[in-house]
Amino acid sequence: MALTANRLSEGDVVFWASGQWVDQFAEAELFTEEATAEAAVALAKAQNRVVVDAYLIDVTRSEQGLAPVSYRERLRALGPTNELGHGKQALGGAAITALQAASGAARSTGRLDLIRRK
Amino acid sequence: MYRYDAIDKELLTDRSNEFRHQVARRLAGELSEDQFKPLRLMNGLYLQLHAYMLRVCIPYGTLNVAQVRRLAWIARTYDKDYGHFTTRQNIQFHWIKLRDAPDILDALAEVDLHAIQTSGNCIRNTTSDPRAGATAEEIDDPRVWSEAIRQWSTLHPEFSYLPRKFKIAVTASAKDRTAARVHDIGLALRRGRDGTLGFEVMVGGGMGRTPFIGQTIKEFLPATRLLSYLEAVLRVYNRAGRRDNIYKARIKILVSSLGAEEFGRQVEEEWAQIDGARADLPDTELARIRAAFIQPGLEVLPAVSDSYEAARAANPALARFIRNNVSAHKAPGYAIVDVSLKAHDATPGDANFDQLEAIADLAERFGLGDIRVTHEQNLVLPHVKQSDLPALFEGLAAVGLATPNINLVSDIIACPGLDYCALANARAIPVAQSIAQRFLDADRAELVGELKIKISGCINACGHHHVGHIGILGVDKKGEEYYQLTLGGSGAEDASIGKILGPGINADQVAPAVDRLVEVYLAERQGEERFLDTYRRIGMTPFKEAVYVDAH
Amino acid sequence: MSTLIKYTADGATEVENAFVYVVDDEAVPQGADIIVSLSRIKAEGEALLASGVRVGVQIEPADAVEDLAELLPFLALVAVAFPKFRDGRAYTSATLLRQRLGFNGEVRAVGDVLREQAYVMTRCGIDAFVPADGSSAAEWSRAAGHFRHVYQTAADGRTPAYAEQGRR
Repeated sequence: MALTANRLSEGDVVFWASGQWVDQFAEAELFTEEATAEAAVALAKAQNRVVVDAYLIDVTRSEQGLAPVSYRERLRALGPTNELGHGKQALGGAAITALQAASGAARSTGRLDLIRRK
Repeated sequence: MYRYDAIDKELLTDRSNEFRHQVARRLAGELSEDQFKPLRLMNGLYLQLHAYMLRVCIPYGTLNVAQVRRLAWIARTYDKDYGHFTTRQNIQFHWIKLRDAPDILDALAEVDLHAIQTSGNCIRNTTSDPRAGATAEEIDDPRVWSEAIRQWSTLHPEFSYLPRKFKIAVTASAKDRTAARVHDIGLALRRGRDGTLGFEVMVGGGMGRTPFIGQTIKEFLPATRLLSYLEAVLRVYNRAGRRDNIYKARIKILVSSLGAEEFGRQVEEEWAQIDGARADLPDTELARIRAAFIQPGLEVLPAVSDSYEAARAANPALARFIRNNVSAHKAPGYAIVDVSLKAHDATPGDANFDQLEAIADLAERFGLGDIRVTHEQNLVLPHVKQSDLPALFEGLAAVGLATPNINLVSDIIACPGLDYCALANARAIPVAQSIAQRFLDADRAELVGELKIKISGCINACGHHHVGHIGILGVDKKGEEYYQLTLGGSGAEDASIGKILGPGINADQVAPAVDRLVEVYLAERQGEERFLDTYRRIGMTPFKEAVYVDAH
Repeated sequence: MSTLIKYTADGATEVENAFVYVVDDEAVPQGADIIVSLSRIKAEGEALLASGVRVGVQIEPADAVEDLAELLPFLALVAVAFPKFRDGRAYTSATLLRQRLGFNGEVRAVGDVLREQAYVMTRCGIDAFVPADGSSAAEWSRAAGHFRHVYQTAADGRTPAYAEQGRR
């Protein structure tokens, strides 16, 4: 699991990493135990001047790397599919490509690919 | 056009100041998110998937040149160089920061724009006919009444914390271009037998999880009694609307559970106790508002312009544009121009900085500075001389705003969907684009004729799918995007809710399905029937068989 | 005793709240000014009003404020309850108390009463507030006073924009 939220002042998507909030899913802290994860959620919710809407998301590992299980969370981690130059995906780089590929849904022009939840 | 006087302007400034204080209190931790959320919603600010979204109000869909330019500037300065026009005639910016919102509201206020009550459990933007003041069809100018409602509903202290959102539409022509029958209150201007002006009042229309067509609770309300009657409806709703379940909190649920007759009776009973002298607008104020909408600048022109006719004959692209995007104006020699924001490879309803600037330029040069927004996510230049149409067309074409597809198959309403919206289950934009791609052939699209496809990414139905001739609803089925098609919906004066075609299909199957539906229509249509008419005549079965013929 | 913000012609001041809210099945304390529920005043109104203390009634969102019509001349105040600040039924109750029932006593907001609703509360004719957020009278006034103009008539009787000098 990973912990995500939106920055209060800016609104952008962030991920918890050892008490800090990072922009990239690739840098998110991963939780394997419920208790540790819930403790982090509690800390996050106490930071109500920093973030809003903190919640846990399921993460899965494939040969391309780590990715959120839910399609919605993949979109939050990447950006909108109608504008590939907007959102975090615009940064490019290995982590972003891995995220796009991990879902098996790197979008090519004019075609729609569906992302299967594992 | 209504021009803001000192009072209107001071109201915007004061509102902007109030919100600035509220944001500061939130950032300082003096307000919890729970306490702050309704306040920011009442200033149009949503927290979406990637960022905050700001929904700017465009009162009854009218803009002037300065306002369009300011919206372009905001898109460039605070967002990613574009804005999205909505099914309630508003504009949204999808990449806003909360800390910038007070400055943005100040910048909007300078041109008499705001984001007041574009969200929240309050009375929203009152929408109306984008052809108001230009069409010969209207009984009276609905903008007069929309402006009266705008003022009455703005920061109304009794109705700022309703059970749920509240949407009003005003229509004035037999052809309803406002979807009034699927609004919480739809007001249709009427003439009484003695010629007095009045409204047919329809209540309880709406879409979402439980779609309803509005029911007439008052056949003829004298127009001068409008505000007191609205007060009565809102008061009955504020007291009796459900607050225990957000999915049952709209007025449509109350009207449905009481029955229209009983609901209407309760409204009459309440209305009888309201002092009209206090509650209704005095004639002087109505006259003042009406005077603002008298259209200056219309010249006396011949009905036919030779240069225009020649240009049309010589330029097939111009001719196609005129066939599809231009309608008759009440004044001879003028035309109403629909500007499509549905280029085949673009995001439906979006306009970028250059396009907004071009619209401003073209409206200034050719359109008496008047720009309208439709609930179908397009724009209108309502006052264009026929003789200017060729030059206007060139200007629009230069910025990709001359797609000749108004009301055709690729003129699709699509909500932002899961690409942007925190509420969505599925994406809508790529589906719209796949359909548009399928029907790139402009001749074929014209052959098909009027076909209103509407796509919603979730059951909240911001894409109005329930009233699409073909409606498409995105659902989440085991983590995959699926799409449920409906047929036979209409948001016009012949309002109807679409019926489900069959089981959900995946995204790749949608455009081929639409293709098959169109083929059935083309094979079966009689005379001048539109797709909707053929469906209503022959029913679901031939369409269903065409789409689901291969079991999968 | 909790803080009460009270509006008079001179503006907002903090005063002691002398009234005790008495739950339905509790005995009424001797000699104290009391606030009771609508059902209690209906059942025991005569006795309570004859007891020599000041009596107020608390209207919950689902209560019909019209039921108080005959009792109003004898009531010191009517409290309108906001169980959650988003429940806007009290705005209608307050409005009707002023505009329809002609009540001139104190209308007091209780419950989830927050500064950012000071403006709409005041406009609906509420003139006393038990704030849940620790607001001072000055902070309350400021929040209630953001708007120089109002578009519509309301229970507070403020001149609507259309009747102002600039528009008449």
